[in-house]
Amino acid sequence: MQRSINLILSATLTLACASAMAEGRPAEGRPAGAPAAAEAIHQHDHHDHALGQIMAPDGKPAAAAVQGKWQGREWTKYPLLTPMMGRVGDRAAATLAVKNLQPAVLEVFAAEGPADRLRRQFPVVPEGTPIEAVTPKIGNYHWVSAREEAEGKVTVASTAYFFGNPGVAPTKLLLQQKSELEIIPQPLPREHGAWRESEKWRFMVRFNGQPLANQTVKMETEFGTRTAFVSDEKGMATVLFPRDFKSAEQNERGGRHGGPRKAKFVLAAERDDGGKHYLTAFNYTYSPDSERDKSLLAGVGFGVFGMLLATPLLRRKKSENNHSAKEA
Amino acid sequence: MFKAIFSTLGRFRLFIQIVMLLLTVYGSNVVGFYMAEKVSNALPALSCAYDQQNGGYCVLIPTQHVLHHRIGEALVKAEQVTAQIVLPLVFTLITFFTFFFVLGKVFCGWVCPLGTIQELINKLGRRLNFPLRRFENGNVSRVRLVKWLMLIVLVLALPLLTGMGVTPHSLGNPYCDICPSRIATTLLTGSTEQMALRTGDGITFALGAIANTLVGFMLVAALAVRQPFCRICPMLSFNATFQRLSPMRLVKKQHDKCDKCGVCAKACPMDIHEIAREHGAKAYHEDCTLCGRCVEFCPDDGVIQMKWGPVTLFKSSREYYKQRMKGEMPDGTLKAVATSRKPAVESENA
Repeated sequence: MQRSINLILSATLTLACASAMAEGRPAEGRPAGAPAAAEAIHQHDHHDHALGQIMAPDGKPAAAAVQGKWQGREWTKYPLLTPMMGRVGDRAAATLAVKNLQPAVLEVFAAEGPADRLRRQFPVVPEGTPIEAVTPKIGNYHWVSAREEAEGKVTVASTAYFFGNPGVAPTKLLLQQKSELEIIPQPLPREHGAWRESEKWRFMVRFNGQPLANQTVKMETEFGTRTAFVSDEKGMATVLFPRDFKSAEQNERGGRHGGPRKAKFVLAAERDDGGKHYLTAFNYTYSPDSERDKSLLAGVGFGVFGMLLATPLLRRKKSENNHSAKEA
Repeated sequence: MFKAIFSTLGRFRLFIQIVMLLLTVYGSNVVGFYMAEKVSNALPALSCAYDQQNGGYCVLIPTQHVLHHRIGEALVKAEQVTAQIVLPLVFTLITFFTFFFVLGKVFCGWVCPLGTIQELINKLGRRLNFPLRRFENGNVSRVRLVKWLMLIVLVLALPLLTGMGVTPHSLGNPYCDICPSRIATTLLTGSTEQMALRTGDGITFALGAIANTLVGFMLVAALAVRQPFCRICPMLSFNATFQRLSPMRLVKKQHDKCDKCGVCAKACPMDIHEIAREHGAKAYHEDCTLCGRCVEFCPDDGVIQMKWGPVTLFKSSREYYKQRMKGEMPDGTLKAVATSRKPAVESENA
């Protein structure tokens, strides 16, 4: 009996280790948080490609061959506000770069704090615009936007910035009207969370504070994916984050703590109203599928190994049976 | 009305445990999505932050994070040590202690989702007639040491060393990396994300492998051993550090019959044999989770009590003991199952 248990244990461990080594390649198509059924995975992959929504700029599907060619280049024409490397240890300050837009100031909106600091302006500096949290002690998400108005065209770039100190949830901050045409995440990822490829998240599109139905929202990613979504009657556009990371790039772009790697994306909407052309863009980052570079088989293997280790505890000796029966 | 629904303390505790399990595993649907909306980020129970639907975070994650992330920053700006390390850590401990002051180690015995899962599995084990393995006097003290090692090494030392740049980043929150609650509670939300092992880095893979082995072991062992993981849980040692500071406590009076009786020790899911021998402060042991089973199964009036300050919340009584024993043995075995066991067959011992 003992010998057979040992044999099973050895086989399980060997299998687990072998599968872990073999599965260095990324897992395919697992939307994080979605049911783990293989069918769901298959459907999701099918959805990505068969609907033809996710296309590379050359009209071909966004495949590994074209991934990464955008890195270090201008990957979008839409305006962007992107964080730059800041000073280590400064949790209440950040530096943002402005691209494809020439605003005079960056506006930073906070969810709480002194009334006169809830909406502040920071002059744009070409080498990187420094911004601050509402106070040194209040963190959480702040909303940052930049606006340019010229020749009947109003262009707004927006992003969210997370300052690593406690602060109230950004629910009300997101719903506060900040410009005419807006794309508002519903919700933003929570701390230590991320938007991930293959996941669907909702973004509200509003004009003058009112939800916009049937509004096209275009999406462009750093890895070259170009796609579009349409808002529903409540102004909600359900955005499917494209599965366009590839493993080699993830390794090159390894995060600070070896944690989730990030790539930039932008969502943009345009609308003509009252003789003006409005363009709004929201940019942020998304991460690889949480099960990339992971092995579920190895995980299950070690789980089963643990179970087998505990199995001898379940064997009842007859002496115990007698004893228990007497106790009863 | 209350007594009609909850005829025993055990039934009332099970109800609270189920409610807390739902709150800690799926509570974001009630309390809110963002971290700022959680019940707390410093709960004295293993409410896992990796669970995307949870209602609150366990105190061990901010403790590790403050040590891991902020020590390096503070070293860069040495003049801000107080602001960067001491204050966040103090705030985490104050938040934790605000909860802990009110309920003490009730968080272990009534709130912790992993404790509830193990207890439910053990109830299943009793029903399926698996043997009950207990830690005897001699070996239980060796097991008790492990929870302190877990706290000191995994929750405090390694995150601190990582924050100082001595150990690699993959050892930044090593307790969470091996915590069975991370896997068990995320599996309850239908996500296999935490079950899958990260393959890129040897340390991360090893920690994940330990976690999965541990969760597999715990799930099966709980059929035969009561609260197998609780015995080595750093949350228990964390809570034990502060247990004398909460008015919520277990009180036991000296009684002549205690030496011969020992029913309370049999009822204890943590195998605290001292509960039968000791009285006063020693009876409220570091491993006690304030589940109240010893109070329920003490056959003498008022010998063991659960108290909050001067208020007695529940005390032992002969009448209650008789009623409790009708359905269940002190070790958790159901009476119907215990009496239906067949006699042993000698040949199976060979």
